Amino acid sequence: MAECGIFDKKYSYIHDRKWGSEAADAHHIIVRKSHAKGFLVYLSPILLLASAFHLFLFKDNITITFWNSLLIAFLVKLLLQKPVEKESVIVMPAFGVQLETHRGSKIVRRFVPIDKILKPVLSECVTPVTCYWSLSFIIRGEAELMLVFKEVCPPVKVLVPIWKALCAAIGSEGILGTPTADAP
Amino acid sequence: MGEPKRHRILMVSDFFYPNFGGVENHIYYLSQCLLKLGHKVVVMTHAYGNRSGVRYMTGGLKVYYVPWKPFLMQNTLPTFYGTLPIIRTILIREKISLVHGHQAFSTLCHEALMHSRTMGCRVVFTDHSLYGFGDVGSIHMNKVLQFTLADVSQAICVSHTSKENTVLRSGLPPEKVFVISNAVDTAMFKPALERPSDNEIVIVVISRLVYRKGADLLVEVIPEVCRLYPNVRFIVGGDGPKRVRLEQMREKHSLQDRVEMLGAVPHARVRSVLISGHIFLNSSLTEAFCIAILEAASCGLLTVSTRVGGVPEVLPDDMVVLAEPDPSDMVLAINKAISILPTIDPQVMHDRMKKLYNWHDVAKRTEIVYDRALKCSNQSLLERLSRYLSCGAWAGKLFCLVVVIDFLLFRLLQLWQPAEDIEVVPDILLSQGEDKRDADKLRVFNGDQCLK
Repeated sequence: MAECGIFDKKYSYIHDRKWGSEAADAHHIIVRKSHAKGFLVYLSPILLLASAFHLFLFKDNITITFWNSLLIAFLVKLLLQKPVEKESVIVMPAFGVQLETHRGSKIVRRFVPIDKILKPVLSECVTPVTCYWSLSFIIRGEAELMLVFKEVCPPVKVLVPIWKALCAAIGSEGILGTPTADAP
Repeated sequence: MGEPKRHRILMVSDFFYPNFGGVENHIYYLSQCLLKLGHKVVVMTHAYGNRSGVRYMTGGLKVYYVPWKPFLMQNTLPTFYGTLPIIRTILIREKISLVHGHQAFSTLCHEALMHSRTMGCRVVFTDHSLYGFGDVGSIHMNKVLQFTLADVSQAICVSHTSKENTVLRSGLPPEKVFVISNAVDTAMFKPALERPSDNEIVIVVISRLVYRKGADLLVEVIPEVCRLYPNVRFIVGGDGPKRVRLEQMREKHSLQDRVEMLGAVPHARVRSVLISGHIFLNSSLTEAFCIAILEAASCGLLTVSTRVGGVPEVLPDDMVVLAEPDPSDMVLAINKAISILPTIDPQVMHDRMKKLYNWHDVAKRTEIVYDRALKCSNQSLLERLSRYLSCGAWAGKLFCLVVVIDFLLFRLLQLWQPAEDIEVVPDILLSQGEDKRDADKLRVFNGDQCLK
């Protein structure tokens, strides 16, 4: 079946319908390579060498040793950790939803049975510095929402078709119902 | 005459629901009435405990509870530039045309107004309280106010006394300051169907039991009134550090059966406490307006109040007995109030209050201020800096430095996260169906695509 996509500065969205939407419906968010991140990855070994040399020179100074050790640990983590390449949502109306996170050859999968999902919701998340949209599941019997995309933060124009597909699979209407209003 | 312009307003303050108070209620009721007039209103405040993120209130009022923890007396930690990214994000994603800050004591309000002016937004400021001039705290607060109001489009005060106070403290030209009084929800504050019995006279006091609300005056007044009038009883609602003094007074004069202490009274229960009395006693030492006496008058109570601040402007002379903030003068005022009590008709008083005070009227007048603010020319950075320079020999230069750094950080943010990358939120339109259940259903429309 034909694939269709939305392309953004940071992400590409691919809707894969090769199995037919009744059997399985796959939505992929592919992270485009960032030049800034690539630059940081190449810079980090140089910083690591400089920190090690600095540590060797000032090994008697505890404060400098402590901060240098922290910096080295952070740089090592940055170098070793593989960046997220893709996150996928595979909707199988008969069974459930499989959420995948691809880091190189390593794939982390989470499966949510269809009867455990009460409703998929698009919600606005507020942090101390920004505000963004996220797609989550309300899971029956659980107080916490389950994030569909744990690592990536795609724009709402990418989240909307995925949300609609999830609503159609679960059988709920694709419009916002009565929100929880806080009465004064 | 053209169509009235629809404004997109961001109300900013550290003081909002779930807290209850004059400022909180003002923002809520004003926002609801502005929504009814067809404007878009969004509120921004700090997080209250677990209440963090986006919430929707009655009428589709959107509230951003930004997760900045309050650090002192409910105020967000002042970082000068820390709130710039989130304020910029909210202004862009909600397409805000005007920012309305509330309360001089709110650090979030001051920061939001500064960042909004840097971004070229028009700003309006409402001052809800009176402040002094002589103590260290007031001097610093007034300097901060001078900085914020140096570049504000228009300002609003809740009484003429408050306007005088704000103009003197900030140096703002009086022609830029409008006086729009608070109002009261008369539908919520109605008199009792049956007036309490006249066998005994009940005097109600509901306020925070703190120094500036005159709790020390109550300690002197209550025993004297109880001594002079054996048929008078007091009901005291509220809590605070001065509660202990009132409890001690009650013990000392053996007034346990004549003075009832209720403790903190939830706002939803205030009316039920008011309608159990005949007279409302307000002993504040300073008040810009005093919504409490409006609520009492709306419930049909005769008010006895100290003649301070903006209180004389609130009620007509036949609804209030004023006294100096002195125990003996207050006892005389209570004596006068008891003598004129038989002439008071609670329902007539309530009907007069309905005509005098109305939140819809406040919203219409505020709308005029918004129209005036939006007609102000958008000045360049250099023109704005010249306003700040006039704030003082050293302060002016410091203010200019703060604004220049803010401008540079704003430009840096524009490079780091261009405005095109911030998604605009679709407008939520509340459909007004005949069926009440349908009226609550929201339809979300996007300018480009329909999300329904």
